Amino acid sequence: MGVIPLKNRYLIHVDNTLALTVSPLTTFIVFLIYMLISPAALALTVKDSLGSQELPAPATRVIALNWGATEEMLELGVTPLGVAEIEGYKTWVAQPVIPETVMDVGTRAEPNIERIAGLKPDLIVIGSMQKNMIARLKPIAPVLYFDNYRADHDNFSAIKESFQQLAVALGKADIAMARLDAQNEKLKQLKQRLNVYFNGQLPKVTVVRFSDAHHVRAYGLNSMPLAALKELGIEPAIAIKNSTWGQVQKPIRDLAYMKGVLLYLRPLPKEAELFEQPLFRMMPFVAEGRIAPVRSTWTYGGALSISYLAEHFVEALMTLPATIASNNHALNSHTSAGIK
Amino acid sequence: MSSALTKASVKVAQSKFSILPRFSFALPLLGFGLLALAVVFHLQSETSLSFLQQWHVWLTLAPQDFAEFEYYYSAMPRMLMAILVGATLGFVGSLLQQLLQNTLVSPMTLGASSGAWLGLVAASVFFPTLAVLYREWWAMAGATVAVGLSLLVARRSGFRGLPIVLSGMAISLLFGALASAFVLLNDQYVRNLFIWGAGDLAQGDWNDVIWLLPRVSPLLLLVILAHRPLMLMRLGEQGAQSRGLNLIPVLITLLLMALWLTASAIATVGLIGFIGLLTPQIARRFYARSARIEMVASAVIGASLLLITDLIAIKATQSFGQLVPSGAAAALIGAPALILLSLKRGADNERVAPPPSSHDQVGHGNERRWFKTTPKKGAVVVAFIFIIVLCLALFVFPKTILVNNSVNMQANIHWGWYWPEGYLWQLRWPRVLTALMAGLGLAVAGTVLQRLIRNPLASPDILGLSAGATLSIVIFILFFGTKWLVFSPMIAFMGSFLVLGLLLLLGKRQAFSPGVMVLIGIALTALLDAILQFTLARGTDEVFSILLWMSGSTYSVTAIQACLLTVGVLVLSAITLVWHRALTLIAISDDVARSRGINVLRARGWLLTLIAGICALITAVIGPVSFIGLLSPHLAYLLGAKRVLPQILLASVAGGSLLVFSDWVGRVALYPVQLSAGVIASLIGGSYFVYLLARRRL
Repeated sequence: MGVIPLKNRYLIHVDNTLALTVSPLTTFIVFLIYMLISPAALALTVKDSLGSQELPAPATRVIALNWGATEEMLELGVTPLGVAEIEGYKTWVAQPVIPETVMDVGTRAEPNIERIAGLKPDLIVIGSMQKNMIARLKPIAPVLYFDNYRADHDNFSAIKESFQQLAVALGKADIAMARLDAQNEKLKQLKQRLNVYFNGQLPKVTVVRFSDAHHVRAYGLNSMPLAALKELGIEPAIAIKNSTWGQVQKPIRDLAYMKGVLLYLRPLPKEAELFEQPLFRMMPFVAEGRIAPVRSTWTYGGALSISYLAEHFVEALMTLPATIASNNHALNSHTSAGIK
Repeated sequence: MSSALTKASVKVAQSKFSILPRFSFALPLLGFGLLALAVVFHLQSETSLSFLQQWHVWLTLAPQDFAEFEYYYSAMPRMLMAILVGATLGFVGSLLQQLLQNTLVSPMTLGASSGAWLGLVAASVFFPTLAVLYREWWAMAGATVAVGLSLLVARRSGFRGLPIVLSGMAISLLFGALASAFVLLNDQYVRNLFIWGAGDLAQGDWNDVIWLLPRVSPLLLLVILAHRPLMLMRLGEQGAQSRGLNLIPVLITLLLMALWLTASAIATVGLIGFIGLLTPQIARRFYARSARIEMVASAVIGASLLLITDLIAIKATQSFGQLVPSGAAAALIGAPALILLSLKRGADNERVAPPPSSHDQVGHGNERRWFKTTPKKGAVVVAFIFIIVLCLALFVFPKTILVNNSVNMQANIHWGWYWPEGYLWQLRWPRVLTALMAGLGLAVAGTVLQRLIRNPLASPDILGLSAGATLSIVIFILFFGTKWLVFSPMIAFMGSFLVLGLLLLLGKRQAFSPGVMVLIGIALTALLDAILQFTLARGTDEVFSILLWMSGSTYSVTAIQACLLTVGVLVLSAITLVWHRALTLIAISDDVARSRGINVLRARGWLLTLIAGICALITAVIGPVSFIGLLSPHLAYLLGAKRVLPQILLASVAGGSLLVFSDWVGRVALYPVQLSAGVIASLIGGSYFVYLLARRRL
């Protein structure tokens, strides 16, 4: 836009009257031309957590140092040049599948900068774990830093925003929009299926991962599982405060008087043993069958991982009786009256 | 030496005999009263039931509704578990301390905790399925190896003084470093261990109590059988043997029993430190009349202590909305208590004072050496090694070369000499320089410290100087996150100087007795461990930046930091050299130094301050690094540098080379994955240390 005032001033200087009559028209034409040619001629502008930066062209040789970015890149159809901890990605994130040609650049916490430099990338994408490396990565290639997981914001909207920005940097903005739209559509369908199944009376849900026989890591309000639940129109059964990675370690008995359904993520070693524990079996949510397992799913993923989560949640919830929410009210008031 | 010890212990025993009879009824009552009170309070912590309802559950053992179920399956077994574990730990502590006649000994200080932790972590990484199923056996195996190693290492210097505690600390450091490396490289696999690592007593049924009960029942047998040998041990080893005690078999049997009890206890509830170390110290103040009474009293007090600790942990968990494990609470209470106790230990010091085993007395097996060492030859050897290491670190490197064949890109790794081009050079030199300077500084600090307190096993990482810096940074990260880590040098200095202040304060009072310094080191290191485990148990990813930093990595060092570190270390080390005459004299004895006109207290204070400065600087830049400060002086000594000045110089170059080499190995061994220099240094240094100790070269 910097062109226009300059031109105006020039015109005013040469001929005052001409400038007054012509200038709105000139301005408009210049603006039009500017709008038409700018996408091709000018660099891409990408916004990350540190502000805007310009890339000369869509990146093709990309290195991703965290798994969320890796996942999103693969979703966009871009095969990264290098990724940190590929073995870990294969074990814990798994989907989408990472091609064999991608090179390992070391651990996520201490990626091998010498190797990264050797690969001569044109873009490096990092997360909060690699924040202190920006100064050393910058001389190698432009760095996109997405600080997605934080206690003081809504992780999911930050992740969606960063996904779109990443897509811009890769020249895949249109694909990203399409994928997000498709995901919204899918989430809507899932929501509808759920509503039909539960007759419009959705149960409240808490999502946990069991850490051992007596403790859970409960997912908080700003976590991806809770974001998935929100998209499905499900309310959290207990409010767990925000934290960086969206989860809090708690004793199981803290959940005892929770009113709602408990979804727990697999894998859970010693699952049978847990369910044999008398106290666990007596927990109201177990005794009343308000508990269901969820297939193994990565819970710190990228923008499109939310649909996997939502899908698996719906799958799990639909193993419960359809009347659980309506029954539950009666049951809950009954038991609490009995105790008090 | 042993006669002096005997006299001292007889004196202690007599002095206690004279007061005790008057309290013979009151004291047991007091102990059991405390226990009963703790039980009652503990039971109230997690239930909404009234006393009457609780009483009803106890009488009928048939819970009716959920609240009663909760009481029956959670509160009751948890209380019993606390008693069982607390009593076991207290009892074992007392048994060990009496057996080895050493008040600093406990399962924790012998390395059992870190051994168990390493066993479990390693099992989870290598045999994930088996690790889940046989948790207790892995823990037990690790603990046995660690304690066995500490005892083996210390066996010839006797179990009485500091050597066994120092070797236990060294083994702990070694095992801890290994475990950290495993955790860092495989964080996702070991996650479900973190709560165990932090030590929590939560119960969901009676199974664990029932599992543990028969396993700790030998305790009752020991109360009867261990009494006589322990009473005889009070007379000293020779005294005991002359009265017909077959020392070695008894020692081994009792030690194995103690180990079994400990391993069973920590396998069920996880790592809970301090109880075993603290309890006997408290018990001894009141109940030292006979070995049996001391053991029983320790068990009772241990149970009460753990109940109270667990109560605090429960309350903290409730008010913070997230898990505060009992082990963390134990450390938070135990560490200050240990330091407080060490304040009052003045009179006890004869019992722990080490045999003055300075280098010159021990006498190394020079005759077997393949070449005769003189300082000059040593210097040549060290210089040669130094140059080789430096070349390795800077130029020998795997290089990734991209090959573009028709189908896809391929990376080939080529090993060889490469001149680091442009940016690679900028990435590499700060790391090499930092490793060099950190190794140099630690070596100087270690040499000075060993001379200063006349103990060849002293080092900044064992005496808590590094731990103070590390602890302050870890606590800072815990509360404020990693955002403000730019201030880490200031924080490290604060922590280091707090410890220094503590050392100086206590030192003035007790003439810098090694016992007190080691106690502080133990307290801080254990506190650090517990806080680390607590952070791990929070299950957030922030902890990995702490763990990484704690493993002593040169990874994130910038050029400016490297230069600052270089200047700081060189200046501080140079100032240390000014004091070398005082150091030589103090190393002989305080009296000699004083008679030559040296203000011993002031010299000690200054030298300690300098060392603390060096340690804080290094810790702030690359995190804690173990074993360099411990080993470098010995390397220098073995190479023939027996006087202070050459020893410091030779040690500093040796230490620098060692850390540069470790850093290089860490960078290339698992390329492209990088290991921390500190981990490799611990591995190399720790194994060499164990070898040296076992061969009696220290």
